[in-house]
Amino acid sequence: MKKLLNAFPIPILLTLSPILIHATMEETSLFEQPLLITSAGQNAEVQLAAVLAKRAGLNYRLEKLATGVDLENMKTLGLVLGASMKGLGAAGLDIDKERERVRGLTAEAGKKGIPILCLHLGGESRRGQQTDDLMAEFLPLAKMAIVVKSGNADGFFTRICREKNIPLVEVEKAAEALEPLRKAFR
Amino acid sequence: MNPKDKPSSLALSLAIELLVGFSFLVSCQNQPRVSPPPPVDRHTPVHYIGRHGLVVAANPLAVEAGLDMLKSGGNAVDAAVATAFALNAAEPFASGIGGGGFMVLYLAKSRQVAVIDYREKAPAGAWPTMFKEKGEAEDHWRTATGLAVAVPGAPAGWALALRRYGTRSLAQAAQRAIQIAEQGFPVSQTFSDINKDEYERLALNLEEGSCYLKDGFPYEPGEDYRNPDLARTFRVLAEKGIEEFYRGDIARRIVAAVQAKQGILTLEDLAAYEAEEVSPLRGTYKNFALVTAPPPASGGLHLLQLLRIAENWPLRGWGHNSSLYIHHLSEALRFIFADRERYLGDPHFIAVPVEKLLSREYAASIASAIRPDRALGSYPPGEFDNESDRRSNTTHLCVIDREGNIVSLTQSINDFFGTGIVPEGTGFLLNNQMADFSSSPDSLNAPAPGHRPVSSMAPLILFRDGKPFLVLGSPGGTRIFSSLAQIILNITEFRMSLDEAIEAPRFFSYSVGGQPRPIALESRIAEATVAELRRLGHEVRVREAYDKYFGGAQGILVWRDRKIILGAADSRRDGWGAGY
Repeated sequence: MKKLLNAFPIPILLTLSPILIHATMEETSLFEQPLLITSAGQNAEVQLAAVLAKRAGLNYRLEKLATGVDLENMKTLGLVLGASMKGLGAAGLDIDKERERVRGLTAEAGKKGIPILCLHLGGESRRGQQTDDLMAEFLPLAKMAIVVKSGNADGFFTRICREKNIPLVEVEKAAEALEPLRKAFR
Repeated sequence: MNPKDKPSSLALSLAIELLVGFSFLVSCQNQPRVSPPPPVDRHTPVHYIGRHGLVVAANPLAVEAGLDMLKSGGNAVDAAVATAFALNAAEPFASGIGGGGFMVLYLAKSRQVAVIDYREKAPAGAWPTMFKEKGEAEDHWRTATGLAVAVPGAPAGWALALRRYGTRSLAQAAQRAIQIAEQGFPVSQTFSDINKDEYERLALNLEEGSCYLKDGFPYEPGEDYRNPDLARTFRVLAEKGIEEFYRGDIARRIVAAVQAKQGILTLEDLAAYEAEEVSPLRGTYKNFALVTAPPPASGGLHLLQLLRIAENWPLRGWGHNSSLYIHHLSEALRFIFADRERYLGDPHFIAVPVEKLLSREYAASIASAIRPDRALGSYPPGEFDNESDRRSNTTHLCVIDREGNIVSLTQSINDFFGTGIVPEGTGFLLNNQMADFSSSPDSLNAPAPGHRPVSSMAPLILFRDGKPFLVLGSPGGTRIFSSLAQIILNITEFRMSLDEAIEAPRFFSYSVGGQPRPIALESRIAEATVAELRRLGHEVRVREAYDKYFGGAQGILVWRDRKIILGAADSRRDGWGAGY
């Protein structure tokens, strides 16, 4: 094996990388608590994420309009992805203002060394141009992503996660995100 | 329809469409007890055909209930109530006995039109500043607490309609709904999406183990939903009548649930509720006559205003959904919303200047004020004395029976899933219709004891040459009358078939305090059109391709003295139809 790896390191590592990433995820919890949960897009699933975090026994706070100051004393940023016109309207935002908010938040997280966990819990029906544009910008910042499988039918998440070496966990439905979420935290 | 059009050209295009495969025909014979599969592409125009009768509604199981009633000899009113009951079971998030609505009836023998108003009422303890004084938490109190619950009108409305114009009992009308609630069904994508959208309010207000969530999480498409509590409640209503709802055990449970969530509804409020029969609102558009529900249903009034204004313009010359078309109608809508803010309320208590609002002179003045080259930026209301000349979500259904009787019915619990409050053991959701009152205590539509909040609903029947031509309605909150106007213009001006007209891309705008809000439009509208609208000075918000924000219309087109009855339903929700 060692001779093989020495001879063909890159192809072998690339082939093994999904297994390695999966194995890494299984063996190592990537994140610490407390967790700040917010959305990128003012979607309804952010509430789901909060319920999952509660059921997972995590120390978390939900702030739908979180900005950099809300990262004080936080160890992880949970970003629930998905644009909702209804949610944006209710928050008095448009997509541009929301994008600016999340940019500011993720920039501050980067400065503080706070890792980002991305979630997409709405499935296939919660994909669309605005959501995809938002996700294309913020998903690459993630240290890990948990998504409902039907939302990845076209490989959107797989492509970005593979490119950026982000461990990707797919679940059949939002409720099944509970275990991967629990395991992701120390 | 333009009188100059040759009827044969429309008939020919309809025939071609039916035969050559833009539509597929849904057989009305031997309907299975499970929902028939939708077409592969739900957005492809689909027409349902009947010779004797037809039902269109926002859910296939509800359509089946209405059609069964027609085929068993019930009339249009019986079928409409059966469908309404079934919608409560099959589409529980959009309407039901915890809400209210309006029903427009056409009685073929007498050629009379009647309207049943079963809009919810504010409790006797309501006061104008009840929400305003909550400050930043106002929106929460208006939508997610017991204070948001208005006295439900649906059971009373359905019972009144059956008593006066039906041939079946409430118990008979409830039978299929009981089965649907008891046996359940797999949840659709629409149900799942809406369940997710409203999750926060449901998680706040539902009891643990509620059937409106699956183990505390939103339903995924295909998961089984059952509501045995609702079935039991329907059985109680079937056995004991609506007295049980307004004065009996159900009433006590409603009051307990509302007051546990800081509401003010009392047993006396429920006992005092009455649905009523009122005169329809009538108007015209070119050579069509239109009947609809009057205020407090404002939708029909504003729809007529919009059509009146549009009569002044060369719509066909501008082209369907061209920038000029969207610009002019959006500007008109902004003026109409200014009138709505200024003049609309419950006509039992305030005067609504309906005739002045609908006058051709007023419409012409608005049409001439609108500039073709830019958005105006300011939209004052009309100036009228408040002389009396008369006295929103949501779902819609249409029925026509073999005698030609027609029902156009829109009903609601306001927001999807209403307050999310379910009286213990009853299975039905309570409305948050109090949110339809104005936030401003000075408004004619401010909360007040016994007032019915202004509604955007507009169930309607369009007549041509004195005969029913189009039955139509839609949910969609404040977008209702804009969407219905566009559908009517799609048919009358742009010669679309009924379902093409319903599926065509929509837009909407409004004003608040005389200031314009953005034009919202579906992404299927051409990018060049969007760019031109921005150049005219509009802010534009592009939404999804088929966005339920713009409603979920259902319609029936009656052609050639009922020799052809076509139905169509909106793919933006789970619209369906069936005829026989």
